[in-house]
Amino acid sequence: MSRIGVFVCHCGTNIAGTVDVEAVADAARQMPNVAYAGTNKYMCSAQGQDYIVDIIKEHNLDRVVIASCSPRMHERLFRKVLAEKTDLNPYLLEVANIREQCSWVHKDKQIGTPKAINLVAMAVAKADCDTQLFTHEIPVTKRALIIGGGIAGIQAALDIADAGFPVTIVERKTTIGGKMPMLDKTFPTLDCSACISTPKMSECEAHPLIEIKTLSEVEKVEGYIGNFDVTIREKAKYIDYDKCTGCGMCETKCPQKKIPSEFNQGMSTRTAVYKPFPQAVPSKPTIDADHCRMLTEGKCGVCAKVCPTGAIDYQDVDRVTTERYGAIVLATGYELIDWTRLYGEYGGGRYADVISGLQFERLVNASGPTEGHILRPSDGTEPKTMVIVKCVGSRDPHKGVPYCSRACCMYGAKHAHQFMDKVPGGKCFVFYMDVRTPGKNYDEFYMNTLHEGARYIRGRISKITRRSDGKLVCLGEDTLSGNVVEVDADMVVLETAMVPPEGAKKLAQTVNTQLGPEGFFTEAHPKLRPVETNTGGLYLAGTAQGPKDIPDTVAQAGAAAAKVIGLLCKQSIESNPMVAHVDDSKCSGCGACVDICPYSAVTLVEKTLRENSRKVTRTVAQVNEGLCQGCGACTVACRPGASDLLGFNDEGIMREVEAYATR
Amino acid sequence: MADVQDTIRERAAALLSSGEVSAVIGWGAGRFDDVRFPLVVKRAEDAGKLVFDASCVQMTAKRLLEHTGEGKVALVARGCESRAVNRFIADHQLTRDQVYVIGVPCPGMVDPATGETLKRCAECQVRNPVVHDELVGDPVPEPKPYRFAEVDRVEAMSREERRAFFDEMYGKCIRCYACRNACPCCTCRECFVEQDKVGWQGKAFNVNEARYYGMIRAFHTGDRCIECGECERACPMGLPLMVIMHQQVRDIDKLFGPYEGGGLTDSGPDPLRTYKTDDIEEFM
Repeated sequence: MSRIGVFVCHCGTNIAGTVDVEAVADAARQMPNVAYAGTNKYMCSAQGQDYIVDIIKEHNLDRVVIASCSPRMHERLFRKVLAEKTDLNPYLLEVANIREQCSWVHKDKQIGTPKAINLVAMAVAKADCDTQLFTHEIPVTKRALIIGGGIAGIQAALDIADAGFPVTIVERKTTIGGKMPMLDKTFPTLDCSACISTPKMSECEAHPLIEIKTLSEVEKVEGYIGNFDVTIREKAKYIDYDKCTGCGMCETKCPQKKIPSEFNQGMSTRTAVYKPFPQAVPSKPTIDADHCRMLTEGKCGVCAKVCPTGAIDYQDVDRVTTERYGAIVLATGYELIDWTRLYGEYGGGRYADVISGLQFERLVNASGPTEGHILRPSDGTEPKTMVIVKCVGSRDPHKGVPYCSRACCMYGAKHAHQFMDKVPGGKCFVFYMDVRTPGKNYDEFYMNTLHEGARYIRGRISKITRRSDGKLVCLGEDTLSGNVVEVDADMVVLETAMVPPEGAKKLAQTVNTQLGPEGFFTEAHPKLRPVETNTGGLYLAGTAQGPKDIPDTVAQAGAAAAKVIGLLCKQSIESNPMVAHVDDSKCSGCGACVDICPYSAVTLVEKTLRENSRKVTRTVAQVNEGLCQGCGACTVACRPGASDLLGFNDEGIMREVEAYATR
Repeated sequence: MADVQDTIRERAAALLSSGEVSAVIGWGAGRFDDVRFPLVVKRAEDAGKLVFDASCVQMTAKRLLEHTGEGKVALVARGCESRAVNRFIADHQLTRDQVYVIGVPCPGMVDPATGETLKRCAECQVRNPVVHDELVGDPVPEPKPYRFAEVDRVEAMSREERRAFFDEMYGKCIRCYACRNACPCCTCRECFVEQDKVGWQGKAFNVNEARYYGMIRAFHTGDRCIECGECERACPMGLPLMVIMHQQVRDIDKLFGPYEGGGLTDSGPDPLRTYKTDDIEEFM
């Protein structure tokens, strides 16, 4: 016989408005094993906590049921109260969610009250089956791995390294920096993007605790929070960075000069041995094996001849290393949707003067292919009329993605401003669905662009055609006046949607975490745990988690760094005791749990067991408590029920069902 | 089949006398001409007791598990037994080096009660062993008969008719667990029905509990079933158990296919116990 105390929370009127909490407490007093039931206005407040502690002592309770909000909200808090202020094991606690799953979804007490009573009855039945659980200590490796070296990864790396922990940045491109150095000016302050991002890049390079691995990818991740064994493949660069001084002689002499430059979005060319842009970090070139004549055809070798330090090594191979990290930050960023594939009505890429927003950034950038002069890619003349189309791919569930990419309204306004600033007398038309400018000084920026003369037209462009004189005829609708609008533009800029980068899905499998339906990494809780994932020790920074602008990205990277620092500060961490546990006597070692485990936490091991007073060696399943996230997949896959989830044992769940079914 | 029987005896004697295997599992003569029993031969001189003819209706594969730890054991295996061997290996109940498979292509057995082809043989998809160390006799053609006729019939029923069909079926079940004991997928050390769960699964006869047993067993074996039909053959009450197993094979093929049944290879994993990030999850 257990002595269960039931504590029903009013949550102000949140619960008490639709649930008669006193009636719930009265009903609870009649339930088996319940020794006490009472209510309080705010159970989570200091006064409410004291009430629970006092009653536990006064009534000698050995189990606690708290009927309040979702356990995701305050279960941890109540566990802490039990652990610190009472003699009870903190896992002898059940939370009946009578707020999110009851009072908030019902309108009147007629329905809310009986449902709350049922929920409490189930929690009481389960509480009787609860057992004491104990955590154990897991050591923490005091190093962090950042996957992705864009501004999010850079910020997180700097913050963690400044706190004194070694950091490795793995970047799959030839330089860190990501997209930010490609941009011209950043909204709303119009400060130069490269001027604020490249110093951070060099700070990373110079930081004694930051190691940068470019042209590298994470191949395998094993282990668990505090102890991830990560296998990284560093692809061949064909240049010995210990010898290379970054003088750039090889770049000037390389005969392969016609390769489209990725950094300039295909609007200029580069050589086969190259550095994507002058401020790249590491500030040394790499050889593009797909285009180098020496590597593809076996003849050339000019760079090796001109290199003053003999750094060129055509025999260079990939290097694979495995190292241990305590925490991992996913900062894999975004890509822009391939509009040419989806929007045939905008020319599908056939018109040179229909460009993406990122191409416009390069055009308007002083270090770009036109040295900052806005010139049409087709004939090099200055466009007098420019059309900006927003939401290309975004908010378009049929062709593109259903979500808003968040940054386009602002950089669209910025593009309009920059065009009118650089082209005197230029006309700019912005076709929009809505203008969304929530952010500090954002709406002021947009209003300023309007005052400068940008014409905002609410509607989408339905078709762009090119006339023989080179003008792009943009046909659209002004949905506010209901008129058809036709604009003869010299250039069209498409503000395209942010989408997850290629390989996000594979990486999610490698690091054992989940992607949302749009392909961005899923946070553990959208409000309360926005930079954590459901996998312990794995954090999110920047657009890897969803579209966002630079200020939000940097803020989130700092938040992820704070979480990592919080973890790495500890000598050891407490394990989650609510993990799967295998009853050796029932386990036949069939391996169903091994196959189904999403976290690779279960393995088959040989064990010597005592059975019928005989020693036998059998194969049985074993759970790695560090890896196990307590999802319970194995417990349902296990036919004889050998695998059980501590804290959610089959018995307790059966009793919950029974309690509900027999009421 | 007489030639095949002679070869089996010769090979069994040779394997036992050379010490390569510690036992040979096959069939032996019963009291009547048309009754055969599983026979485990441990001495070369007893190899002559092995029989192979159209009356070998039992599936012998599960006997293998009774002799693990006794060195290598030889199994005279038809298509169904060979799939069971793969099943055991995939379920980690056996390793490949613990068994020596004497493969025997099988033309189908005769039901002693009716004198016609045994039902499980008439539905057989794999007559030739899918795994063997040696093959005795020539491979037989694989007609791959349509095995979902009964499933089609039940599917075509109205809700009430179907309810009546299963009520009648489980109304007859005496819960002797012969189906489970015969099944090569049932290798748990402690079956769920033998665990005490008050109010969920008792000992007394009760149609609801019989149905509960049948349905849970179907889920436990659904994605691993090798379609040997031994459960149905072993059932003393003649329940059409394979209709449930065939239905599952077809559903799994539709949802996670292509899928032709369990035990065709010795490397699981099996569709319902595999975690894939691109699994169908329209309910989420």
